[in-house]
Amino acid sequence: MQFELNENHALLKTSIREFLEKESPLAKSRPMMEETQEGFSKELYAELGDLGYLGLTLSESEGGGAAGVIGLAVVLEEMGRVAFPGPFLDLVLAEETLCRVKDQQASQFLQETVSGRKKVLLARSEALDDLERSSLQTRCDQDTIRGTKLPVSYGASADVLLVTTAEGLALVPRPEEGWKATSLPALDHAQRFVEISLDSPGRLLTDKQRADTILQEVDQLGALGASALMLGLMEGSLELTLDYLKERKAFGRTIGSFQVLQHRAADMWIRVESSRSAVYRAAWALENKLEEASLLVASAKAYSGDSARFVCGETIQLFGGVGYTWEYDPHIYYKRVKTLEQLYGSTRNQLEAALQSQGI
Amino acid sequence: MDFHFSEEQQQFRMELRAWLKENLERPWIEELRDPKNDEKKLFDIRRNWQAKLNESGYLGIHWPKEWGGRGLTVVENAIFAAEAIHAPPIASRVGINLLGPALIHHATEEQRRRFIPKMLSGEEVWCQGFSEPDAGSDLAALRTRAELDGEDFRLEGQKVWTTFAPWSDWIFVLARTDPDDRYGGITFFLVSLHQEGIDVRPIRQITGESEFGEVFFSGALAKREHIVGAIGEGWKIAMTVLAYERGSMSLAHLARFDHYLKDLVDGVRENGSLQRADVREKIARLMVEKEVLRANGYRTLATLASGQAPGPEASLEKIFWSEYSRRLADGALDLLGLQAHLLVRSPHARPHMDWAQEALYSRAVTIYAGSSEIQRNIISKRILKLPSS
Ligand SMILES: Cc1cc2nc3c(=O)[nH]c(=O)nc-3n(C[C@H](O)[C@H](O)[C@H](O)COP(=O)(O)OP(=O)(O)OC[C@H]3O[C@@H](n4cnc5c(N)ncnc54)[C@H](O)[C@@H]3O)c2cc1C
Repeated sequence: MQFELNENHALLKTSIREFLEKESPLAKSRPMMEETQEGFSKELYAELGDLGYLGLTLSESEGGGAAGVIGLAVVLEEMGRVAFPGPFLDLVLAEETLCRVKDQQASQFLQETVSGRKKVLLARSEALDDLERSSLQTRCDQDTIRGTKLPVSYGASADVLLVTTAEGLALVPRPEEGWKATSLPALDHAQRFVEISLDSPGRLLTDKQRADTILQEVDQLGALGASALMLGLMEGSLELTLDYLKERKAFGRTIGSFQVLQHRAADMWIRVESSRSAVYRAAWALENKLEEASLLVASAKAYSGDSARFVCGETIQLFGGVGYTWEYDPHIYYKRVKTLEQLYGSTRNQLEAALQSQGI
Repeated sequence: MDFHFSEEQQQFRMELRAWLKENLERPWIEELRDPKNDEKKLFDIRRNWQAKLNESGYLGIHWPKEWGGRGLTVVENAIFAAEAIHAPPIASRVGINLLGPALIHHATEEQRRRFIPKMLSGEEVWCQGFSEPDAGSDLAALRTRAELDGEDFRLEGQKVWTTFAPWSDWIFVLARTDPDDRYGGITFFLVSLHQEGIDVRPIRQITGESEFGEVFFSGALAKREHIVGAIGEGWKIAMTVLAYERGSMSLAHLARFDHYLKDLVDGVRENGSLQRADVREKIARLMVEKEVLRANGYRTLATLASGQAPGPEASLEKIFWSEYSRRLADGALDLLGLQAHLLVRSPHARPHMDWAQEALYSRAVTIYAGSSEIQRNIISKRILKLPSS
């Protein structure tokens, strides 16, 4: 029994924290979210590639960092803390998909994603709700992929899409004239959702059955990754709140001395720390491929979703009027969390998954 | 990061399982249901069970061998709690869980030799004399006085809410040796209840039972040789006791909650509502929160196993398990309806679970060992460093 991070993971945590605090504080990242088309800094993503963060979970023979699921959680938690924008987790999930298909072109793209030179992203969803559908409308017909995917996170930035079709998983390089992508501005202004219509040359990588198996594994990593991001987001949001509670005055005293607010801060902290326990226990179970991983990952995602909603919502409330302004940062955290609650397996789907993992 | 139980710990679990199969004649709930068992009989069953555990090395599992323990760690102790959920609770729970660790940390060798063996065997049952009518959350406001009488002291005052007082032989008491020093004027005494100058009166609880009581002192003898720590060090020792009461035990609660939630799932299966969306969501959340509780518990366990004493983080565990136990019991009453209201001896009661008792008891756990409000004060002051008003 040991809860502390091992030496390598502790080191990883320090390095990524230092990097992000220097390169991507909100003062620097907000202009990226608000003023660029991509929604993130392309230079920083290239640097993440150079520094090896983009291949974090891959084995050394694949050119990766072999940091495992726990290492991924460590990095994503830190990214959450500063609300780091962009498709980092999406790239990791695309890589994890690529490395599971035995295909030369796939390996090629994998290498280029790891190094930060190309962006491969998954395009799976065909609807905006989270309801399960029995079949996909997108088809692969003689090396042409036809259909509509939405929402695709950061899809407009993709060099290659990994597209799920009724026939299986297909590889679709960006057409010469670019994607037929329509942007879907949403609640979270830092997120880039697009709808992509495909009628493009592509190639089937695996059949449907194999694709389902692969994506099931990738989905667990996605849910875990999103939980770690939300853990970081609520930590960041709580830090903002505590600073504000110690500085803002009303009725001649700092508002942090009001017991009612102290108790609300305590509840926020309880949520953060309990999510931390849940996320790292799930990461450990997934890394060790334990049977209980399904239950623990679903629990971590559902619980950190509920918790992050609570914590980041409380931050806005405890800031008062400025909490509702564009200028202050609480909304950045709140919006990211609202998006993550829905993506990578929505809370209600995770709750159902938790039950089913126990035969209920 | 590692949440594995070691080979030896797994081995310990298997041996314990076999031992329980051999030695536990009747699940505790059957004893509770048996109309022949009154409160006194039930208490004797607990005392006998404790003696049996002690003879077989299953008490004080994580205590040093020289103090009658088994010399293992908190991890094995937690495994015991998980495996033994159908067994009677031990009689001297307060002594073994709270006073024991305090004696091991703070008592003299002579005191340990005098008190620990009989505490383990169940020969001497202990209760905790901290709270008073005007000193609960504000424990340092306590007024029970210890007055010098020759070498020793005489107690004057009153304790209240003293769990097991009606069945106990000894009480550990916080008493004032200096009226002017709020914290430094408190001393920790071990006091026999079988003497002149002590009057114990049971108090009836909302469950109808009288598990706790009042203890009145009028000149009762408190011996100098039975002071733990130095005179005036009582507050420090009390804090050790409370830290153990708050943290470190959530895995024992978890084992109960596993059993309870399983009964709830069985119940909604039987009443045919398991496929209802509202039922599924409620059960799923209870299941998810239980896993979070387990993760928190393993985390504390890992900290304790590395030799650290429980700190203010224990407040997190106390709040989580106590408030979870309310949600779980309320959830069962919601989903099982009046079946879950039936008392254990009532016809049609659920055979393996006493939800009525649990629902009522869950209202106590957020009050004792520092109320939920006090725990939040501790978190906001000591961990979040928010300013005083
Ligand atoms: C089942 C049970 C068993 C018990 N067993 C024992 C035992 O064996 N030995 C023993 O010594 N004691 C025991 N207690 C007593 C228990 O520790 C006290 O009841 C508890 O500390 C609360 O004190 P009080 O009852 O005086 O309530 P009060 O302190 O009067 O509290 C009343 C309310 O005010 C709130 N409150 C008080 N101060 C603050 C504050 N500063 N900020 C915010 N809110 C505050 C409390 O949270 C509570 O909601 C037991 C209690 C119960 C219910």
